[in-house]
Amino acid sequence: MSTHAESSDAAAARRRSANLRTALILLSIALVFFFGIIASKLIGDPTASLGVIGAAVLLYLVVAIGRNLRK
Amino acid sequence: MSSIPHDHATGHAEEPPHAHDDHAHGPHGGIMRWVTTTNHKDIGTLYLCFSLIMFFVGGIMALTIRAELFEPGLQIVHPEFFNSMTTLHGLIMIFGAIMPAAVGFANWMIPMLIGAPDMAFARMNNWSFWLLPPAVILLGVSFFVPGGAAAGGWTLYPPLSTQAGMGMDLTIFAIHIMGASSIMGSINIITTILNLRAPGMTLMKMPLFCWTWLITAYLLVAVMPVLAGAVTMLLTDRHFGTTFFNAAGGGDPVLFQHVFWFFGHPEVYILILPAFGIISSIIPTFARKPLFGYASMVYAVAGIAILSFIVWAHHMFTVGMPAAGLLFFMYATMLIAVPTGVKVFNWLATMWKGEMTFEAPMLFAIGFLFLFTLGGFTGLVLAITPVDIQLQDTYYVVAHFHYVMVAGSLFAFFGGTYYWIPKWTGTMYDERLGKLHFWGSMIFFNITFFPMHFLGLAGMPRRIPDYAQQFADWNMVASIGALGFGLSQLIFLYAVIKCIRGDGAKAPAKPWDGGDTLEWTLPSPPPYHTFETPPVIR
Repeated sequence: MSTHAESSDAAAARRRSANLRTALILLSIALVFFFGIIASKLIGDPTASLGVIGAAVLLYLVVAIGRNLRK
Repeated sequence: MSSIPHDHATGHAEEPPHAHDDHAHGPHGGIMRWVTTTNHKDIGTLYLCFSLIMFFVGGIMALTIRAELFEPGLQIVHPEFFNSMTTLHGLIMIFGAIMPAAVGFANWMIPMLIGAPDMAFARMNNWSFWLLPPAVILLGVSFFVPGGAAAGGWTLYPPLSTQAGMGMDLTIFAIHIMGASSIMGSINIITTILNLRAPGMTLMKMPLFCWTWLITAYLLVAVMPVLAGAVTMLLTDRHFGTTFFNAAGGGDPVLFQHVFWFFGHPEVYILILPAFGIISSIIPTFARKPLFGYASMVYAVAGIAILSFIVWAHHMFTVGMPAAGLLFFMYATMLIAVPTGVKVFNWLATMWKGEMTFEAPMLFAIGFLFLFTLGGFTGLVLAITPVDIQLQDTYYVVAHFHYVMVAGSLFAFFGGTYYWIPKWTGTMYDERLGKLHFWGSMIFFNITFFPMHFLGLAGMPRRIPDYAQQFADWNMVASIGALGFGLSQLIFLYAVIKCIRGDGAKAPAKPWDGGDTLEWTLPSPPPYHTFETPPVIR
């Protein structure tokens, strides 16, 4: 009984840390976009910065969805 | 055509294997239940009620606009107030009504569809919702500050937005708050879908509604910070001496348009993709067939999301762009018709030779299919650069996006509400009211917005409180239609209130015999806590 409880506690802890990891990755992406768009305007080269951001978005969508496809 | 198939609910569904017996802690009583709740069903209800209230607030603004435009000349409101109405109508409908409604559906349905006990971050979920009312209060307060509410259009283009009064500052803060709420909600949805699915529920076994929301949430995480960045730069231009968008200081107002539409076009898909998910749930249920081409539907949604990042400049063909840029954005925009066409044809193929019945959810789904496709076609017309240059900022554009946003997103949300409200409340909606609501909405929607195509083609500009005599007839027709459309929504309100009060037939666990997703294994209404022991999917 107690072994079962421990294992379910361990599973819950694993899930919590996985959730936190996913959330932090997503939050960091949001922050990069927020500060990135302002920084790109400060630097003053919209073509390059928008191109980089666009490519990052495409890559991010493909990788983020693709790596989970078979789970 | 059959009536609602109550008698098809199975004994299995009436005594579901996964239901929790609700002996554990339940909700708080009274108002504190709603303030402190971390339960996904409660928060879903909060979002849906909030969006319904905002829908009526935005609707009253729309009726004010249509009342002023009933005939030429200035009759009812001052031009400045008219401009505030068009601006706030757009902002409230997008950020206050459609987006929260979609998040409400996500909160209610995603955990139940994937067999999760709740959202991954339950407290953050509560916070995401409770950020919204202060944001809307800021927008409301902006009417009473010197200079009045924002009046430069929902796109907030400079130089109007950099020169406007204090109302613009409040609008910018409101957008910041709503953006933070959206980002938190998106992080929650992505984490829930990726980490909390029941054993055996692979991504490619998920109901399509979850897929559309997963992709929408990724879009939100990517583009809401861009909007937040844009309005932050607007704020620093207004108060801290920067000149990001001020030509006098070396900045460029057109730059704002690029940044805004880099957010704004994906935003269109943020508003419509969850609607696609709802339609993909309704049509198979009422056609009594599995969704045709599930995998191609998933890839089409992903394709639409990816393409949405590379078409933003079709909103600004007239600002002056190199010919190569015009061509690129024209062809990229047209390309979106391919994955969208895949979805439309798959929905049609799902219905093909199905045992269809036409209850209110299915009527709204079919109405969506007709009218959204029409809105898509006018989108293709506007994608053609030389045509767009003629039609830029005319009522043709107004007609186009209302066919996509109202007949697209809103009709899908109406259909989704009728589809799932028996599950949410445990009471069947009044089918007669549902059908009346559908036909009222369908007829008056077209009376309102179809003539706007003619007005736009004849050259009537948008966002003006007065117009030339030649536009009078169709404007009068559109205004009458708007009043009818508004009144039709009172039927919806009445039907929903009846369900909430339990005034109707008791809903079985599975009111639709074609429904085969996990939520129908739970009783109606579901217990406060569900799937604490995850179901196993084979």
